[in-house]
Amino acid sequence: MPIKTWELDPNFRNEIMNEPGGEHLASCFQCSTCTLGCPITEIVPSYNPRKIIQMSLLGMREEVLSNPDLWICLICQTCTARCPQDVVVSDVLGAIRRIAEKEEEAGKLKIESPRPLFDKAFLHQLEKYGRLYDIGLAKEYYPKKEGSFIKGMRAMMKDYKDFGMRMFKKGKMGPKAILPEKIKRTGEVKKIFEKIGD
Amino acid sequence: MNGRKLAYYPGCPSAGTAVDQDMSTRAVFEKLGIELAEVEDWNCCGAAEAENPILVYALNARTLAIAEKDGLDIVTPCSICYYNLERSNMALKEDESLRAKMKEIDPSLDYRGGIKARHVLDVFINEIGMDELKSKIVKKVNIKVAPYYGCYIGRPPTTAFDDPDDPILMDQLIELIGGECVDFSYMKTKCCGGPLMMTRADIAFEMAKNVLEAAKRAGADCIALACPLCGMMLDAKQPDIEKALNIEIGMPVIYITQLLGLALGIDSKKLGLDKAAVDTKEIVGKVV
Repeated sequence: MPIKTWELDPNFRNEIMNEPGGEHLASCFQCSTCTLGCPITEIVPSYNPRKIIQMSLLGMREEVLSNPDLWICLICQTCTARCPQDVVVSDVLGAIRRIAEKEEEAGKLKIESPRPLFDKAFLHQLEKYGRLYDIGLAKEYYPKKEGSFIKGMRAMMKDYKDFGMRMFKKGKMGPKAILPEKIKRTGEVKKIFEKIGD
Repeated sequence: MNGRKLAYYPGCPSAGTAVDQDMSTRAVFEKLGIELAEVEDWNCCGAAEAENPILVYALNARTLAIAEKDGLDIVTPCSICYYNLERSNMALKEDESLRAKMKEIDPSLDYRGGIKARHVLDVFINEIGMDELKSKIVKKVNIKVAPYYGCYIGRPPTTAFDDPDDPILMDQLIELIGGECVDFSYMKTKCCGGPLMMTRADIAFEMAKNVLEAAKRAGADCIALACPLCGMMLDAKQPDIEKALNIEIGMPVIYITQLLGLALGIDSKKLGLDKAAVDTKEIVGKVV
């Protein structure tokens, strides 16, 4: 479908470049090295970070922010390592993901991927305990992802019953992992989240 | 490295799925006569889930500031922790206004850029060195190994300490302890899929399967690695991958600290080798 120039948002590139990590977006000269080396393309052939960057530069804000492919980046840094223009592709995509999350919070966008829910649930553990607490993470993430507590617990059991038993038997889910490892000065970490957000 | 002492950052998986990596790291450094002082009250590095670089810098500034008080470089066995700690260190070291911003958030983030973060593999080869390691090796680890580096050892270029396309540090270590590296070059630095495990398990399983099957095809007795997320995907999740994709793999996965520990003559139980999901007895049996 041809691009409708009147629907483009010329400020979108600045919006990205003003986000931490998005600074080098405009250096991209569309060589496609990022996409050719990306391991995701071997599994999802349509995945194309080069295209996401070009659409961003053109100002196709809505299309970019609602693109489900934004959420399957592994942050493996292969693109970043190979980019001849130092675009720091992983960080640029991260900046775009954060803009999409803000749009969703403002009620202007619906993100289908559960990844923002996962990232938030992960960071909430840090905020509370200063360290990752796996069980707390799963207990927050699954109900949110599935839409209700019961459905969430059912999905969690399906994914993790065998795994949990295996880890328990091997002594990897001992008492140390069942309870959260809380740091002493949690207030210092809480302050970080208060001032920066997640 | 300041004398024979380093600050130690175990990382969150050390309390759970990577308790074996933590045990073997501590045991190996003890055997090498290098004291590890755990960073007092360390916090999580933000892993792959903290996407805002400013948040990452703040989280790691706190840990770096605590270690800086003792003037000790930080060593960690986790590739993601290493990446986050060292990129924060570099950003804070070169940017005074960023340091001021951190201090403003909380005085506990007052890091001055006086130390460095290191990955265990980097410390083994580039700090302790092959000569010293060789002099302490008492056993031959007579196995074929697929050396798997994953993401943050050779990438991104700012924090990398090995080649991005064909890293060699782990290969060198494996050969030093009497092992043989199988041809694994094309798979060494591919991602294990871990970051998508909880949100796109289908993609994550496919990626992990590719690594495991490549090792099997290459004739490896085991995969060696240096990251707890890779460890979780390739070992702890291996039976789940087999079940979901209806395949049989049975590939033992061993942390490089465990392999080195075996060569140093440390008891396999002390290295946590009995905690792997895929049995490692056969590997341990080949250590002579």
